[in-house]
Amino acid sequence: MKNIMSICVVVALVLSAGHVRAAEVDDIVAKANEAMYYQAGDGRADVKMTVTDSLGRTRERGMTILRKDTGVDGKQKYYVYFHQPDDVRGMTYLVWKNVGTDDDRWLYLPALDLVRRVAASDKRSSFVGTNFAYEDISGRGTEEDGHTLLGEENGMYKIKSVPKDPGSVEFSYFITWVDMNDFIPRKAEYYDKNGTLYKTIEALEVKDVGGFPTVVKMKATDFNAGSNTVSEFSDVKYDLGTDENIFSERFLRRPPRQYIDKQ
Amino acid sequence: MGNNAGMKNMALAILLSALSVGVANAVDIPELHGFLEEAFAPRFGEDNTAHRQFNMAEGRLQLKTKYYVKGDNILADWQTVLTAKADLVLDMYYGGKVVTDLRELNAVMTPMDIMDLKIGRQVLTWGTGDYLFLNDLFPKDYESFFIGRDDEYLKAPSDALRVMLYPEWFNVDVAIIPFFRPNILPDGQRVSFFDSFQGGIAGRNSHRTLDEPARQFRNFIYAGRIYRNFSSYEAALYYYRGFDPSPRSYKDEAAMELFYERLDAYGASVRGPVMGGIGNAEVSYYYSPQDNAGKIRTVQNSMVKYLVGYEKDMGGDLRISAQYYLEETLDYDEYRKALLPNDYRWDEFRHTITGRITKLLANQTVKLSLFTFFSPSDLDVYTRPSITWNATDSWTLTIGANLPWGKDPWTDFGSDQKNKNVYVRLRYSF
Repeated sequence: MKNIMSICVVVALVLSAGHVRAAEVDDIVAKANEAMYYQAGDGRADVKMTVTDSLGRTRERGMTILRKDTGVDGKQKYYVYFHQPDDVRGMTYLVWKNVGTDDDRWLYLPALDLVRRVAASDKRSSFVGTNFAYEDISGRGTEEDGHTLLGEENGMYKIKSVPKDPGSVEFSYFITWVDMNDFIPRKAEYYDKNGTLYKTIEALEVKDVGGFPTVVKMKATDFNAGSNTVSEFSDVKYDLGTDENIFSERFLRRPPRQYIDKQ
Repeated sequence: MGNNAGMKNMALAILLSALSVGVANAVDIPELHGFLEEAFAPRFGEDNTAHRQFNMAEGRLQLKTKYYVKGDNILADWQTVLTAKADLVLDMYYGGKVVTDLRELNAVMTPMDIMDLKIGRQVLTWGTGDYLFLNDLFPKDYESFFIGRDDEYLKAPSDALRVMLYPEWFNVDVAIIPFFRPNILPDGQRVSFFDSFQGGIAGRNSHRTLDEPARQFRNFIYAGRIYRNFSSYEAALYYYRGFDPSPRSYKDEAAMELFYERLDAYGASVRGPVMGGIGNAEVSYYYSPQDNAGKIRTVQNSMVKYLVGYEKDMGGDLRISAQYYLEETLDYDEYRKALLPNDYRWDEFRHTITGRITKLLANQTVKLSLFTFFSPSDLDVYTRPSITWNATDSWTLTIGANLPWGKDPWTDFGSDQKNKNVYVRLRYSF
């Protein structure tokens, strides 16, 4: 009865104020994107990713991620230093994230002193073999989907996002629950072309870091593969005043220790 | 008594732990990493090398460490990092000979905000080609490449002083290499090759000698690069003053003596996004000062080398790439006129096409790779399939093959046609 009532309320609201709702949902999505990927102007975190496959075997990825927003059109620069596993230790990775076009990516292989340019049109591919896609780490362009507010649940906005270019992604839509207070997405469910749920991403722990609500533990689960990845963020810091020059070939070769070494 | 002994033990334990903490803090023992690898490459092809059954059978231990200089001294102020990396190889190809291979021993420092220095043994790489090198004239180890060692070993280290400058508008990279190190090429001991003195593919029956430049100040090698980004596009200019790293010129034919002729190279490259992928183009002019008119038949002529390449991410962890490479011999008429009746005659243009397909499977723990070189002008092919399986975070199994074919024995890959092999490498990283 209560559910029917709330559906009626939602339908009535949608019908009566469709334009207002559309503007509101885009605003929520923008705020969620800001809260998740653009806290402060820059930051660092040590990230440990544990991948567990369907047989319970685990692999670990360890890295330090630096981020700086350029302040132009949502562009950001990411610097990744790999600590783990042993065969990739010391490799560095640079991403210039562009909104609306492909990112620019470079990988540095110290054993060969080689700076490789990485073709990067598929943002849905797995990030370093985990259950997270590249977009899950650095954000998905909010303009790439049409968003609908489905309602409010337990203090969270429930939003359905449908890709404008369905051929570019493996999902047909995803549903996100965004906290009404801090705008941090707490859960996302991805549905395939048959409408079956195949992947979830959950924020398992959110902490206040220097006044910024921050996801410090999140989990991606792939129901088809039977595998999951838990990502833990430690030593998170914001407002470091990082020099943008760090996000360049020079520092691929010479990692900036002041931001990378565990404090 | 028992109680007393317990007290003593406890005191000892406290003392020891205090000492170990103290020592660890004072010395700050650097981390030691590396891998242990077993590699075997059975072969098919009859030639006159040391073993007909295999190209490679070796155990390898690589150790590497870094040390960050601390304290109140100028090296610490310059944020100096010392790196050492060495391989210890038990080489069963040569009857269990133990070889030490110092890959890196260098210091990296920042004496000024806009300057980094790297001094010592190091690997040097630049340019935009994939397995094709135009402006990168630093030493390569093609023998390792042909027998199936890891790609890391295609690059041989140099002893160099590298000065890297980062002023506002562009970056400068200068390498000064006091002593010439040639490419490590098949020489008939492990891998057979085309020996013009034998008139065919030779193994241990080759008696040629290679004459390296004298270790003198005037033979120092200088290599430079100026580069910068224009938004997503990278542009670079290159310079090299040194020697051809492969012996292509004849010093004394009767004595079967080859040498590494002087070489100056001037080049340029661009790289950046093109049609949803990455495109690159590179050119290099090789000037041969010892035969600048092309009239000396025993010395390599000047050349121009061109490269265009394209790589695309097809989605689903599938990547494809292709390259077109052209070598043009300059002063070709002079070269032809200078030849004697029995000389081999190289084409004026040598074309090479390469293709690479890479597919990752099973959460990127399995990598399938196929790289192929094909020269429509030389009519030779070299294909390198491989499969790499990261069984765990520590264990990696690689199986691959080196399959060169050629119509004629004197072309790049035709000369290597007796060295078809498959290889297996099992590596434990730590």
